[in-house]
Parts: sequence; C-alpha cells; structure tokens
Amino acid sequence: MKKLILSFLLLTSHFLFFTSVYAGEPPNRIVSLAPNITEILFAMGLGDRIAGVTNFCDYPNEARKKPKVGGIYNPSLEAVVLLEPDIVVMTMDGNTKEFEERLRSLKIKTYVFKAKRLHELPQGIRDLGTALGVKEKAEGLSREIEKGLNKFKVRSHKLNPPFNSPLSKGGYRGVKGGHGGIRVLFIVWPEPLIVAGSGTAIDDAISLLGCENIAKGTYTSYPKYSVEEIIRKSPDVIFIGEGHMNMKETSRALLKKISKVPAVKNGEVYYVSDSIYRLSPRVIKGIDEMARCLR
Amino acid sequence: MSKIKISMLILVLVLIVSASLFVLPKVINPFQMDTVERNILFSIRFPRVIVAFFMGMALGVSGAVLQGILRNPLADPYILGISSGASLLAVAGILSGIYFFGKFTIPLVAFIGASSVSVLVGFFGWKKGRLWPERLLLAGVGLSFLFHAVLMLLMSVSTDERLGRIMFWIYGDLSTADWSLIPVASVFIISGISISLSRAKALNALILGDELAHSLGFSVRKERLLLFVSISLMTAASVSLGGIIGFIGLLVPHVMRFLIGADNRFLVPASALGGGTLLCMADLIGKSILSPMEIPAGIVTAIIGSPYFLYLLGRRDVLSA
Amino acid sequence: MSSVHKYTILQFDDVGFFYEKDKEFIHELSFTVSDREFIGLLGANGSGKSTILKLASGILNPSEGSIRLWGKPLQSFRHKDRAKLLSYLPQLLDMNVPFRVRELVAMGLYPYDIIPEMALSEALEMVGLEGKADLYIKNLSGGERRRAFIAVTLLQGAGLLLLDEPLANLDIKYQIEVIKLLRELREKKNISIIMALHDINMALQFEKVMLIKDGKVLGMGNPEIVLSRDLLKEAFDVDIEARSFQTAYEIRNTGS
Repeated sequence: MKKLILSFLLLTSHFLFFTSVYAGEPPNRIVSLAPNITEILFAMGLGDRIAGVTNFCDYPNEARKKPKVGGIYNPSLEAVVLLEPDIVVMTMDGNTKEFEERLRSLKIKTYVFKAKRLHELPQGIRDLGTALGVKEKAEGLSREIEKGLNKFKVRSHKLNPPFNSPLSKGGYRGVKGGHGGIRVLFIVWPEPLIVAGSGTAIDDAISLLGCENIAKGTYTSYPKYSVEEIIRKSPDVIFIGEGHMNMKETSRALLKKISKVPAVKNGEVYYVSDSIYRLSPRVIKGIDEMARCLR
Repeated sequence: MSKIKISMLILVLVLIVSASLFVLPKVINPFQMDTVERNILFSIRFPRVIVAFFMGMALGVSGAVLQGILRNPLADPYILGISSGASLLAVAGILSGIYFFGKFTIPLVAFIGASSVSVLVGFFGWKKGRLWPERLLLAGVGLSFLFHAVLMLLMSVSTDERLGRIMFWIYGDLSTADWSLIPVASVFIISGISISLSRAKALNALILGDELAHSLGFSVRKERLLLFVSISLMTAASVSLGGIIGFIGLLVPHVMRFLIGADNRFLVPASALGGGTLLCMADLIGKSILSPMEIPAGIVTAIIGSPYFLYLLGRRDVLSA
Repeated sequence: MSSVHKYTILQFDDVGFFYEKDKEFIHELSFTVSDREFIGLLGANGSGKSTILKLASGILNPSEGSIRLWGKPLQSFRHKDRAKLLSYLPQLLDMNVPFRVRELVAMGLYPYDIIPEMALSEALEMVGLEGKADLYIKNLSGGERRRAFIAVTLLQGAGLLLLDEPLANLDIKYQIEVIKLLRELREKKNISIIMALHDINMALQFEKVMLIKDGKVLGMGNPEIVLSRDLLKEAFDVDIEARSFQTAYEIRNTGS
C-alpha cells in the first residue's frame, strides 16, 4: 500500500514538474504548426516569441511576416529544425503523429494542442498557457472566450423554451415548428457539396445558438452530402463559408438546385467569413456573425 | 558505348545526391557546419537520400523483373496490386489509429499488406503446379481494382485529419525518413536485387517463352516463383519505407533497355541505378520547388512520368518488349 | 553415310498421356531414337506430334510408361544437364522479344559454364544471319526470325534435337539450307533429330518416319512403306500418294 502511494506521488509530481517546466520564463522560440495555434499564441502575448509558422498562418497580420516552415500536412522537417525551436506546438488535426515523433527523436520539445470542439477550447488554451508559462494570460483569454460562449447560450436559451411554454421575447426569432430550434445548414463547399456535420466546431456553434444542424448524425465531420437530402430536410437558414474564393459565383448552381428550400426561398442564405473555421479566439467573432444573421 | 552511358548516369546520381545533401533546400557547407546544420545533414538529409535511393532501386529492379516474367512491357508492381494492397492496409492502420509499434507501426502494416497481396496474387496465378503470367496479370489487375475501391471507401468516410495523413502516405512521402527503418528494409531490398541478378539468365530465357526456357535448361516453375518472391520482398520493403511511388517500375526499365539493351544481366543493375537516381531526383525536386512546403516524391514522379511515358509510346524503337 | 547406329539415345516405353482426365490422348507409344538418326514425325494438325515432342523434351510428363534419355529416366536429369543433351524448338515462337539477334542466339550457351567450340558467329553463319547480328529480332522477317531461333538450338549443341515444324515460314531456299545443315551436323557431330512436319514430300527425306493420328502411331519405319496410300488416307483423310521428286529438292541420297 505504501509503495502504491509512493509511486502515485512520484508519478503525479513528475507530471506537475513536466507541465510547469516553463513556470519561469516562457520559451523564446516557439514554432506553430497550425493557423489557429498561431492566433492563440499571439492572443496570449507570445507574438514575438514565435520563431516560425505555417504558410497558411495569416492572422494576425504580424503572423504573415514570420518565417515559414511549410504546410499543415506537409511541413518541412528541415525548416523546423533550422529555426532551433524551444518548443513546437501542433494540433491533433492535420499534423501527423510521425512528424511529432520525428521531432522528438531529434530532441525537439513538442506540445500537442488537444482541443477540437468548441467547449474544449477554453481548457485547451489554459493547458497550453500552463505548458508555455503564461498561465495568467491564458486564464484571461479562456475566461473571455467562456464569457463569449455563455452570452450566446443565454440568448439561445431564451429562444428555446421547452416545447409547450410561451414564446420568447427579445433575442432571436421565434421558434419554428415548436421543436428544437431553427433548422440550419452550414455549407463548406458547394460543388462537391461538403457540409459541416456533427463533431465539428461549427456544429457546436449551431447548437450553441439554439439551432438544429440538419446535417448532424453523419459519420464524418465534413461529409460529402446529398443534395436531395437538403431538400428533404428543408433548412430554414443556410450559411456558406466565404473562404478565399468568390463563393457567390461558385454556389450559384447549387442554390438554384435547392431553390425551393425555405432558406433559399426566404432569402435566408448568408455568406460568413472563415473566422468560424479556426478554433481560436476569433471563433467568437464567427459565432457572432452567424448570430447576427439569425436575428 | 554502354560504359559511357552508365558512367554518365553515375555522374548524374552523384550530382543529385550532392545537391540533396549540401545544396537544396538550403546550402550546408560540410566544412563549416554548426551543430544545427550537422544535425540536419546527418539526421534528416542523409537518411532521406538513402531511403530514396533504396526505394528507387527496389522499384526499378522490380519493374524490370516483372516485365520479364509477365512478358509484358506495361507491368510494374503497382499493376500487380501489390501497391494497392499495401496502401489499403496502411490506410486502415492510419484510420484505426493503432500504434502498437510506435513509428514502426505503419511501415510494418504496409509490409504485411504488400506481402499478403503478393501471396494472394500468387495464389490466383498458380495452376497445375506453377505460376502463369496471364493469370498473374489478371489476378493482379483484378485485385488492384478491388483494393482501390475499398481504399476509396475508407477515405470517403475518414475525417479530415486522418485524410491528410493518408494522402501523404499514399503519394510517397519521404519527409519523415530516418535511420531506423533503413537496416531492415535494405536487407530485404539487397536480397531481392541479389536474387534477381543471380537469376538474370533465367529471366532472359523466360522472356522467350516457357518451352524455350525449359529447353535451355531452366526449371520454369522454380525460376518464376523465385523471381516473384524477390519482387514481392523488394516492393513490400519499398512501400513500407515511403508509401506508393508509381512510374519508376514502369519507366526505368524501358529507358535502360533503350540505353543498354534487354539482357537482364545488365538491365537489372542498370534499372537499380536508374531507379535510385530517378527517385532521388524526384525527392529533391519535391522538397525544393515549393520550399518550405514539400511535395511528395510520388506526385513528382507521376507528373514527370506520365508525359514521358506517353512520349515513349510514340517512339516505336523504345517499346521493344 | 553409315547407317550403323551405336547408341540408343531416347526411348519411349508404352508411354501414355492425357491432357484431361479419362481422355487418353497418347496411348502405348513406344519407339527409340539412336545416334545419328533422323526421324520425321508426320501427321495432321492436332494428331499429337507436338505432344510427343514435348514429352520427349520433358516439358510434359507421361501419365503412363517411361521415357529414358541415355538409359536414365528423363525426369531424373537436372535441368541444365538435360539441356546439354537435348534441345527443343517449339512451333510457335514469341516473336516479340526485346533482344537483338546476337543476344538471342547467345542464349544457346546458357546450359554451359564454359563456352564450347562452336562460336556465336559460326552459328549465325550457318543460318545465314551473320550480317544481321545487331538487328532487333522484331525487325526481322518471319523466316529470318525462325532461322535465328534455329541458331539458338544449334549453338546449344545438344545431341538430340526436337524440332516442331522448324521449316514453317521458310523460303524453299532456306528449307533446303537447314536440311543440309542438319545433315552436316549429323556427319560432324553425330546429332539425331525428331522433326515434326506436315509436308509429306519432305517426310520422304527421312530414313524413318512416324505417321501419327489421334495420338496413335499408324506406322513407323521406312517412309516408302509407311507413307502408303492407305495409311496416308487414314492419317490425312485424303486420297493421295507420296512421291519423291527427282530434282534439287531431293537430297536424301546425295548427302551434300
């Protein structure tokens, strides 16, 4: 029994030691392997300690000026090593296990940012902040995000009273059909038709706003969806991610096909920026965008 | 005459290797390196070049041997389904997230996949006590289609994160090459090449037809089986090292045949040299052209390979087998 | 030309063979081939000529009976050793091989670890291809290709040649050349031949003929006797007579 307690203590202390290895000064040279991480790092005030970013890290503007190490799926091992990083921060999405192992075999410290869903973001930021020695900043940032998320929750709660209670006042538009909330679809790409399904931050945002994602219950996060299914499920509101292209042109053909659907008929098709795509502080902005459209 | 051509090829190889080690994507002066550069040179660039060379050798020789035993100029390990079987298993491995053997997991799984498919193809191609070229080819193509379909199915239901990993594995990603896989893989590849070289005369005879080969004193059954096994070993090792790289097995033997003739005693080593050089070059291009982003070597070989292949089809004197 | 034969090279004893179960194709076939013996194997297409040659070369194994080469069972020989004793030239040759004439013919030396006396160029000369040594096989005419493959067999230097319609596609000039060549080899190197053919008049050239139908031997021996009107009718289902021509075509007794 004593042995058990002892080993338990040793284990946890080892953990504590490990996680607060930067209890003093945050590391000087951080390499980020994902755009959302870059944003979070800047938001935590670590901007000038960032030694390298991916080619796709474009926010904030200062990030564009940082040295590049390649893509998200295919960063250059050499480029990372040449920057002599103190730590490399990567995500579960995209960055590969092999790459992480390789970095570790080259004696480079790595940290994997585990948050994938909206509700995981605040804790994810807290953990990252602890690991990088900026606990307070991280705490502040996560609190902000939590506040932001809660704000939406409150509003939508008003929107979604239980089935047989009187309609809400203020906030968003009334409940349609009495069950759940407004039926929403988020289109990531029109042709081939790719939508945001369950298990994505977008799906979380939709639920947060008290709406129903008609594409929930799919096996994969960003499934290739069937057009007739959209017609069958008749969404009230459609969001289309603006991306970097002229989405209005690209989505014209699709919208024509589903023109009978309530969302299109009533002109409730909204193009939103890609803030919602990045799991970073900006995601609040993205949710806000969507919320405004729903008003 | 051929000696000159071979020397030139060796020269090209030396140039490419030097460029990969010391020049691209960033110059490293071997006489004035700091620790970081030394680290990069020995831990990253060196193993990568070696992996590329060994894979290229394996694929070149496999192509030459396969074209001989199937008596078909369009044969390449890809066509026999070995590559798609390996991909299928590797992709399943990546999707399932298993990681029992750490970084050796996916290579091991790929190796098992490649070997299993070889056995499967061999099984279907076996009748009345020996391997038949036509049956091998049909079995290979058929299985290849099947695996490909299942592979597409798996990919269509996989999440983004996994998909990215899968794509890069499938297209021949050498970027995480390190020393750990090289010893085992090189043993398989060197064995495969040695076996092929030792049976080169038999391979020549097999090209003439089973009956003539028999008349010239070869056990057709034994030789074909032995050569098939050597191809399987080499291809499986190559796939486990760095995924699927197409066109090398198809093109390199053709080009070498044009340069030095079809006698396998010379064609086999020449294809090894040519394949190794070609893959080193493809990898060099892939890691330099859009630096720091890396294009998988398999994509580079496909981009260079297809037009060159079509060009070869136009030249009747080259498509000689 | 001495007709004294000293050795039995090949011996078929009650050999039976079937391609499919219960369908016997060759039945109780027995014959011998001695040194310096030329045997013509004559019969319609599908009569079993190729099968007999394949059995004799070891490509096919008899279902019944035994085949002996120099007194030992054929299957007991190691492949390389057997290749030094007999060589087989199939009827259908894959013409699409990627080799040059020179490379192809040189393969006749594969059974040997040391190079025997007959040089590559000699073999090429014998078939009249010495000027085309560096051409690709696929660029030759049909007849030239066949001659190239004959050269492989020659270079292989085996004592027993099993030839399946080797004169097909050859101009008459070369048909005669090849026969002449074979006779020379008989004199100089004591070779024996079993040649499958379906030119009846050519069969008259041989001192021994086997007339085959449906896997059975209708007659074996002197062609003048075997190729009688009745037997030919049975073998080929036509009423004809074989006649030897008194022209340059007849070289049986001239020996040159």
